[in-house]
Amino acid sequence: MSKGDNSIASPQKVNRQLFSMVIGYAVIIVIVILTVTNLAIKKTDNVLQDKVVSMSSSLDVQMKLNMNSYLARMESLGTIAFSEEKTYTYDATDPNNDEYEALNTEKAITEKLYSLCIMENFVDYGIVYRNNRTVGKISNGTSSLFGDRMFEELSTMITRQRTNDGWCAGYQDNFKRIYYVKRVHDNALLVLSFYTSELESVFDNPETLDDMDIRLVNKDYNILYSSRKEESGKPLPTPILERVKGKTSASVMDDNYLVSVSSCGEEWYIICSIPTDIILREKNDMSLFIFMVGAIAAIVAMLMCAVFSIKMTEPVKQAVAFLNTRATNDQLTGILNKQAFSESSARLITSASDGAEHAMILLDLDNFKGINDSLGHAYGDKVLAKTGSILRAEFSNEDFIGRVGGDEFCVLVNSIPSGNETDYKDFIISKCQSLCRTFGENYTGEDGTYKVSVSIGVAMFPSDGKTFEALFSAADKALYKSKHKGKDTYSFYENDDTEVADK
Amino acid sequence: MKTFSRIAASAAALALILECGCGHKQIVTSQHEQTEITLSWWGNDSRNEYTLEAVELFKQQHPDIKVKCSYSEWSGYEARSRIRMISDTEADVMQINVGWLGQFSADGTGYYDLSKVSDYVDLSSFPDEILSYGTRNGILNAVPIAMNAETVYINKSIFEEHGLEVPVTWDALFKSADVLSKDNIYPLSGASKAIWLYCITYTEQKNGKTILDDKGNFAFTEKDWETAVDFYIRMVDKKVIPQIENFKKVNIEKGEYAGAVAWVSDAINYFDSTQKNGDEVIAADYTAFTPESSGTGWYEKPATLYAISKNTDHPKEAAILLNFLLNSKDMAQLQGVEKGIPISQTALNTLDKKGMLSGLQYEASEMMNSNDKLREMDPVLENNDIINDFFSTCNLVMYDKASLEEAASGFYTALNEKNLQ
Repeated sequence: MSKGDNSIASPQKVNRQLFSMVIGYAVIIVIVILTVTNLAIKKTDNVLQDKVVSMSSSLDVQMKLNMNSYLARMESLGTIAFSEEKTYTYDATDPNNDEYEALNTEKAITEKLYSLCIMENFVDYGIVYRNNRTVGKISNGTSSLFGDRMFEELSTMITRQRTNDGWCAGYQDNFKRIYYVKRVHDNALLVLSFYTSELESVFDNPETLDDMDIRLVNKDYNILYSSRKEESGKPLPTPILERVKGKTSASVMDDNYLVSVSSCGEEWYIICSIPTDIILREKNDMSLFIFMVGAIAAIVAMLMCAVFSIKMTEPVKQAVAFLNTRATNDQLTGILNKQAFSESSARLITSASDGAEHAMILLDLDNFKGINDSLGHAYGDKVLAKTGSILRAEFSNEDFIGRVGGDEFCVLVNSIPSGNETDYKDFIISKCQSLCRTFGENYTGEDGTYKVSVSIGVAMFPSDGKTFEALFSAADKALYKSKHKGKDTYSFYENDDTEVADK
Repeated sequence: MKTFSRIAASAAALALILECGCGHKQIVTSQHEQTEITLSWWGNDSRNEYTLEAVELFKQQHPDIKVKCSYSEWSGYEARSRIRMISDTEADVMQINVGWLGQFSADGTGYYDLSKVSDYVDLSSFPDEILSYGTRNGILNAVPIAMNAETVYINKSIFEEHGLEVPVTWDALFKSADVLSKDNIYPLSGASKAIWLYCITYTEQKNGKTILDDKGNFAFTEKDWETAVDFYIRMVDKKVIPQIENFKKVNIEKGEYAGAVAWVSDAINYFDSTQKNGDEVIAADYTAFTPESSGTGWYEKPATLYAISKNTDHPKEAAILLNFLLNSKDMAQLQGVEKGIPISQTALNTLDKKGMLSGLQYEASEMMNSNDKLREMDPVLENNDIINDFFSTCNLVMYDKASLEEAASGFYTALNEKNLQ
């Protein structure tokens, strides 16, 4: 508490309101930024997911086109075998065949078939007859796989009646080769096959889609080809199967997977899948970035708001401080006016803790009326102002100093020297003696000037009164005693003045 | 004025933020560029699978190199390879047959000079005499993987079931056929090239001369060819072997063939299933008139070689792949002795440490290495046209279309006219 602004803390109120205002603005800004950011991210998510699903679907369709194109090319390469007349006229099962002629015919057909498939990575490219005799390129692997039932088993692979042909993979759980079979005549089948790994070129996807799993499955959802090579021949993983089972052309995206399926040929499906968290990893990074930018924007906005608020409220605070000073201080002396002094002193006394000691010193200028009358009011005002200065010099910032009448001043001593009551009283006595001496030094009365002295009444808290009014009344009684003693002195309130002091 | 400056500064800051957040920028992304090289080979399912697996490991170790594979079974591969070589569309790294060196690189310029990439290919693992197989005109064109020879494999279990010993001589072989044919079993079998070489072995031993002279020219006379043709027909007639047009490898598994003449490198390919069925298969002595002369008339050659295309745009990457295929522990373990005992000392050490130097293929290799009568095979002996003509000649006699003398004479004449040497 200072001598000038210790009654009403209005600037602090302004500060508190300023703080509340900054916090309020900050909360509003954060809420707004969070809301806008969230909406933006959600909208972006929706757009991104639509795009991703669309792109996945496009990739799947592209793979389907690649696969269909590849299969069509293989079929064409098979069909071209019919360009050699012997391939469809010769029947190795005919009992009327001349053995030597048959050998030469088979050799000729074999040479022709070899020449037709020479640039392709076919494992098989030949003709199998009902008696299991073969011409052309029939691999040991195929011979071992089908054994003596080669013709019968290959016949079951013909599924398309229109063209008398068909595709098959996974015969007896062997998924290493894919077979194409076409009927040449009742007793002959054209067979071509290639390693499933040849499809790597068909399903080659760009590096940016390395995480995408591409699988070719049959109608039983067994994997014929997978970009994960170890999966070949195994059932489609359950999480993927659950999302595509029964679908022929669709894209599904949920929290765990993005899956696209397209039917290929009659009974095969191309399935592209990728875990959602991988494909949306960048989206999550982007969301984090947006939130970070939002947070930074919020902090910047709060700081700017605080700076602007402080700048804007500075004049108000100054005005409030000025008005507050005007309301609480006596303009002439610069000390508290009567009301501010009374309120501040009463608040201090009320809130005083047990064992606290204070003293109320009431001062009255002696013969002040004579000064005004003889030297003028201007000089009187100077005397009053000087009195204020003396009091401010004599007491500390802890003490309350007020002008409580025309020439009456009051000090509630708040500063506390260490020691017992006697010591405290000595401390007050020294203050009173110092005041009398100071007034005497400043106003000697020599050279025709008026001698200005001061009469002082002192009441001690809590012994002489426990309220402001009681204490003030006691001090007033003591002042009266000083006046009665002949002025220019100080008196302490004593117990025989109890009739006026409400202890 | 001060206030105006502040507002202006704030507006400028806001504009900057908006510019950063909403400005239209050109987005440029680039795909990771890989060097793509091609690798071609022939082989059965087993070889294809482990080679593909090895290539995957290679790609993991060298993510900047993409390897595109081209492979198929042997049938037709040679013809395709010829087309590729002639049309300059061959793979960057190739598995080649030793005969192709003379065919496509007589002066040593048909394949890449591997000495230029010796920084990337560890050639110190290969003895000089082995590298000489792949050297033409002083230029190292190819590196052999292993040595190879036609070998007689016998299903000892079948022979013992019929009270027979493993045949070492021609007589014993024909006698075993007398017994086994009663159960419709052939004691021996083979694809056309194996039987062709088997007939040459017999003829060389019987007539005491080699098929080629020191200059590489055919030295067999019409009479010699009569011996060879007659020997083939006798083997078919006496049911020692099935007619080559009827040979089916699957019949080995079925026990219809109690043996086969096949390359060292084909041991697993031919007899893996048979062994898995519990039968004991051994690499028998090279057939001869007497046990002491076993190996006479038999030939050895590099099993296969690896070469780099002379046209490759990426010799460094091709060489890195070549080194991986020849010397890496990964490839050595995956390949094992499938192509025979590897020549690369590095690969050999790997197999030795892993205890992988065992099995039928290893036995066949050891037999080949321990027999000093085997001679280096001239590539002309693997010429498919000659082999096909030989069996057409045999068929003329078998089906009474010509006498033995007429047929052998015709083959002899055609051989000399083709001047294939």
